Amino acid sequence: MKRVVWYIERDFLRWVRGKVNVFSSLVMPAAWLIFVGLALPIRFTDNYLDFITPGILVMTMLSAGLSGGTLLMFDKILGFFNKFLALPSPREDILFGKILFTSLRGLIQATIILVIAVLIGAKIYTPLQYGLTYLILLLFGILLSAFSTTLVLYLEDHDSYAAVNTMISMPLFFTSSALMPYSVMPDWLRIVASLNPLSFAIDAIRAADTGAMPVMQIGELGALCVIVTGISVYVFRRVTV
Amino acid sequence: MNAIETHDLTRYYGTLCAVNRLTLSVDREIFALLGPNGSGKTTMVLMLTTLLLPTSGSATVSGHDIVRSGQQVRRTLSYVPQDMAVDIKLTGRENALLFARLYGVLNPKDRVDEVLAVMQLTGRADDLVRTYSGGMRRRLELAQALVHEPEVLFLDEPTLGLDVAARATIWEHITALKKDGMTIFITTHYMDEADRFCNRVGIITKGTLLALDAPSALKAHMGNDVITARIDGEFRDPAVDGVTLFSYANNEASYLAENGREALPLLADAFIKSGIRVRSLALREPTLDDVFLHTVGKSEEPVGFDQTKFRTMLRRRK
Ligand SMILES: Nc1ncnc2c1ncn2[C@@H]1O[C@H](COP(=O)(O)OP(=O)(O)OP(=O)(O)O)[C@@H](O)[C@H]1O
Ligand SMILES: [Mg+2]
Repeated sequence: MKRVVWYIERDFLRWVRGKVNVFSSLVMPAAWLIFVGLALPIRFTDNYLDFITPGILVMTMLSAGLSGGTLLMFDKILGFFNKFLALPSPREDILFGKILFTSLRGLIQATIILVIAVLIGAKIYTPLQYGLTYLILLLFGILLSAFSTTLVLYLEDHDSYAAVNTMISMPLFFTSSALMPYSVMPDWLRIVASLNPLSFAIDAIRAADTGAMPVMQIGELGALCVIVTGISVYVFRRVTV
Repeated sequence: MNAIETHDLTRYYGTLCAVNRLTLSVDREIFALLGPNGSGKTTMVLMLTTLLLPTSGSATVSGHDIVRSGQQVRRTLSYVPQDMAVDIKLTGRENALLFARLYGVLNPKDRVDEVLAVMQLTGRADDLVRTYSGGMRRRLELAQALVHEPEVLFLDEPTLGLDVAARATIWEHITALKKDGMTIFITTHYMDEADRFCNRVGIITKGTLLALDAPSALKAHMGNDVITARIDGEFRDPAVDGVTLFSYANNEASYLAENGREALPLLADAFIKSGIRVRSLALREPTLDDVFLHTVGKSEEPVGFDQTKFRTMLRRRK
């Protein structure tokens, strides 16, 4: 466990010392929130900002989770990964370090987005509702970063990862329930959206916002996390260059 | 039980055979693997450090199988890769401390102070590595590997790009580690270092181990005297009995002679007869350089310097 903390500390120092990074990843979701959330003329609800906020939070976690892959790709290209793999420390510690670092970084970013949302007029929820939101976001972040860091082990260079990254993130966002409710979707989109893992997290947060306890969804998301992380650990243990 | 033991260790990249049935044992000594570029040295180190699976054959490090007991193998070794990998956004101390902790060293902070002092980085320890010179980064890389006191230390070209003083310091340190019973496996292109500091060397070409012995034994085995001739203009081997050409590069021809003193005038005559202009002739004892060129040269015909190829290469780089 201590080793995981040291891996996280390393990534954290690198993150805060790259002054631009800290803010650049916030620009996209903040822009969506402000320009789309406030400005789009929407008929199905009179408060689009409240509707879209869960979608933007999950979007923030999505890019945070995928950044785990980017971090590991650079470690791989620059030769750090090789050195870490040759260490006596169990190899899955590298994985857990990346998962926790990117998920926690995602939660920090999500918090800033949430504060901006409230400042521009979003509804304030109960602490329990926020707690559930954070739990869902955390599980979603773990799922995505486990997936992306493991994927990187099979890719050769940063370009191919960047390609995969754009190939998944934008389509995943637009075909989710982030921007509109299922009721106003065309039929084909409704089917795609209901299968989309993003919608899964977004719907769970929306359910929590209405005061429900999304126990089933959290349970399923948790189970998915355990499965994907389990596969990742297995792959990391036997990785070679 | 030897610290490193390999048996017919083989690695293919596709159809290219990078390491070919290499059998070797190394124990409590400084062992250097020498070989031209692309001969399979790094591939060998990667297999022994469990980063790469062999295609066939087997190896043990400190008695643990490199394929089946990777985790135990990694517990006993430190590894410095050929390509430098130190975090430029961290300070020297932070870089070393990370590894000290990950190796599970007792009192990591004190240990880091010690190794930074050995590598003469104390004064710059708290500066970001971004501000370090290439040689300082290399020293930091070594410091990282030395925080841990491993049973086996793998160094892939540790002195590449270092100045004379830094190389001396590092060799002094490596020699001291060996005295304490550590096994050191290094790869290098510097023959003088291998000759002076290594107990045994292996010469590898195209994945095949061609020679394996102490530097002095290899030199003695070559037996004969070495005659070098500096040539002006075009060079043809005048073919003198009892004298064999084993390398020609940079206008310098190297010959092996049974009896150097007697061969010298014969060779000089032969040069004059065939109209080759010789600037100087020298007679000396074989060095490890000669052993290397001789061994490597036997396995592949010496390739002449190709002017046109070199020019196109230069042009492409512009
Ligand atoms: N990942 C790889 N894929 C395909 N071929 C490889 C790979 N890595 C190395 N090779 C090939 O294997 C051979 C041995 O390479 P290796 O890196 O072990 O050489 P080396 O002795 O360390 O050379 P150098 O002195 O230049 O460092 C070379 O022909 C190289 O092109
Ligand atoms: Mg190499």
